[in-house]
Amino acid sequence: MRINRGAFLFATVLVVTTIAGAQASRTPTGQALNATPLSAPTEALLKGSSTWDQVPAHRISLNRTPPLYDTDEPASLEIPVLDVRVARASGKVLVQMSWLDPTHDAATLPEVPNTPPETRFLKLPTEADDRFFDAAAVMFPEKPGAVTPSLQMGDTDDPVQIYYWNAARGPMLMQAAGRGTTRRTGATFAAHGAYDKGRWTVVFELPDLAAGTPLAFAVWNGSQKDRDGRKYFSVWQVLQ
Amino acid sequence: MSKHQYAMVMDLSKCLGCQTCTIACKKLWTDRDGTGYMYWNNVETRPGMGYPRQWDSIGGGWKDGQLQPSPLPSMDDYGHAWEFDYEQRLYEGKKKPVMASPAPKSGVNWDEDVGGMNGNENYFFYLPRICNHCTYPACLEACPRKAIYKREEDGIVVIDQDRCQGYRYCIKACPYKKIYYNEVTGKSEKCIFCYPRLEKGQVNACAAQCPGRLRFVGLLDDPESPVHKLVLVHRAALPLFPEKGTQPNVFYVPPFNPPKRGNYDRSILEDSRLPLDYLIYLFGPEVRDVITRLEAELKMAQAGGRSELLQLLIGRDAETRYRIKPELVQIKV
Repeated sequence: MRINRGAFLFATVLVVTTIAGAQASRTPTGQALNATPLSAPTEALLKGSSTWDQVPAHRISLNRTPPLYDTDEPASLEIPVLDVRVARASGKVLVQMSWLDPTHDAATLPEVPNTPPETRFLKLPTEADDRFFDAAAVMFPEKPGAVTPSLQMGDTDDPVQIYYWNAARGPMLMQAAGRGTTRRTGATFAAHGAYDKGRWTVVFELPDLAAGTPLAFAVWNGSQKDRDGRKYFSVWQVLQ
Repeated sequence: MSKHQYAMVMDLSKCLGCQTCTIACKKLWTDRDGTGYMYWNNVETRPGMGYPRQWDSIGGGWKDGQLQPSPLPSMDDYGHAWEFDYEQRLYEGKKKPVMASPAPKSGVNWDEDVGGMNGNENYFFYLPRICNHCTYPACLEACPRKAIYKREEDGIVVIDQDRCQGYRYCIKACPYKKIYYNEVTGKSEKCIFCYPRLEKGQVNACAAQCPGRLRFVGLLDDPESPVHKLVLVHRAALPLFPEKGTQPNVFYVPPFNPPKRGNYDRSILEDSRLPLDYLIYLFGPEVRDVITRLEAELKMAQAGGRSELLQLLIGRDAETRYRIKPELVQIKV
């Protein structure tokens, strides 16, 4: 078989740059996200106060992850546009993510009673086994500094913290040090999601991150069975 | 590849569809929040829809080394776990008898004893099903979390509940649809082959409770175990849907009914009560050889000879049916 030299060279360069891109680097590729100082209480900002109108929105383009398996259903080609607003208030960084999603995939799951199931005659049911919920996440490096770990859930040397919010299960803090290592820490954080007229607006309360910290964003659409790596993601942006 | 492999053989000729195994399993493992609809062990009437409905034809498994696509079954396919309206009948003046509420439209074993037609005659038999603890588990390959693993010491396939994130790729990949999603915990669950019992020298709950004594348990690689003898020596048991490519470690002795009236002295294969095509559908073409072998053993026994295979299948006592090796597990929790 004849090998096209140009194609071979291109493929080699692509592989090398892809591998290099997966490693930690010091060159964030997105835009600067300027944080607006606000004096409003964080509780009000979480619930979607009109104070957010003072904060400029940064429009961030999202990418779709390639399918994990050949057996996966193809995702919708409509990639949502993400608007991110960043504020500093009461020693916290607040991030508002807002995007259009015509399908509202949320639920109020029953709260598990404190009594052990064997002492109860009735157990909570599984209402549905085949639904997935809308979700969003903000990821940043665990170590302070300007190093951007791999977008694929960080690296062994540069782990990441993932502030994940799910439209049914709420907020949960995750940690990861590379693809497939993501784990729930058991900790939670303050977050609030609201769905109105086909648009999700989710506010995350993050710790007091230093200017220069890289931030990356992800959005899941439950209707197209998004979960895991099936999602929309942004490249690293920089908090200012 | 695991060092040893636990396996189970079920003799379908002996299954009476009493569901005692189902209840034994349910009371022991799936009497928790979110597990109402789950039956890690179920007994379904064949031919029939199965549980979940049409699991045998919706997909999953391997083909040419690739995982095969499959939809996720819905709750209607499994059947919702329903409650009964005792409150209305006992306290609210409802005159009608106690009924399931809301009225169920589907359920596990929904088409019990319906079966199919063989010419002008109705036929059916029961198929008890647990996780097959496959040698090449498609579920394990499909999990991006690596939450599913095959225990090295005994080949039992389990889901690490700490690693599982409830993505359900495993449910799609399993061609037997023997993994269930628990929405309350947000994680998937499956039959664990009662490994905590095996580690204490006790046989699986489904086998221990079976009044028909149709289950045989042991290590496939232990020459003394009944499963080794039935599967590898007598070659009297076959896996379900071998073409799905996962190499199950649960085997079935095909249902073996007497010949029809007026057909004495003729082979069962000549005029079977159970259509051979349907048995081939379930167990592959080898089922013909197995039935021929079983028939020959039966003839020999009827002629006054002693059939070691039939003696084993009678399974008079627990020592014959089970050979458990608790010493396999080195690490005790």
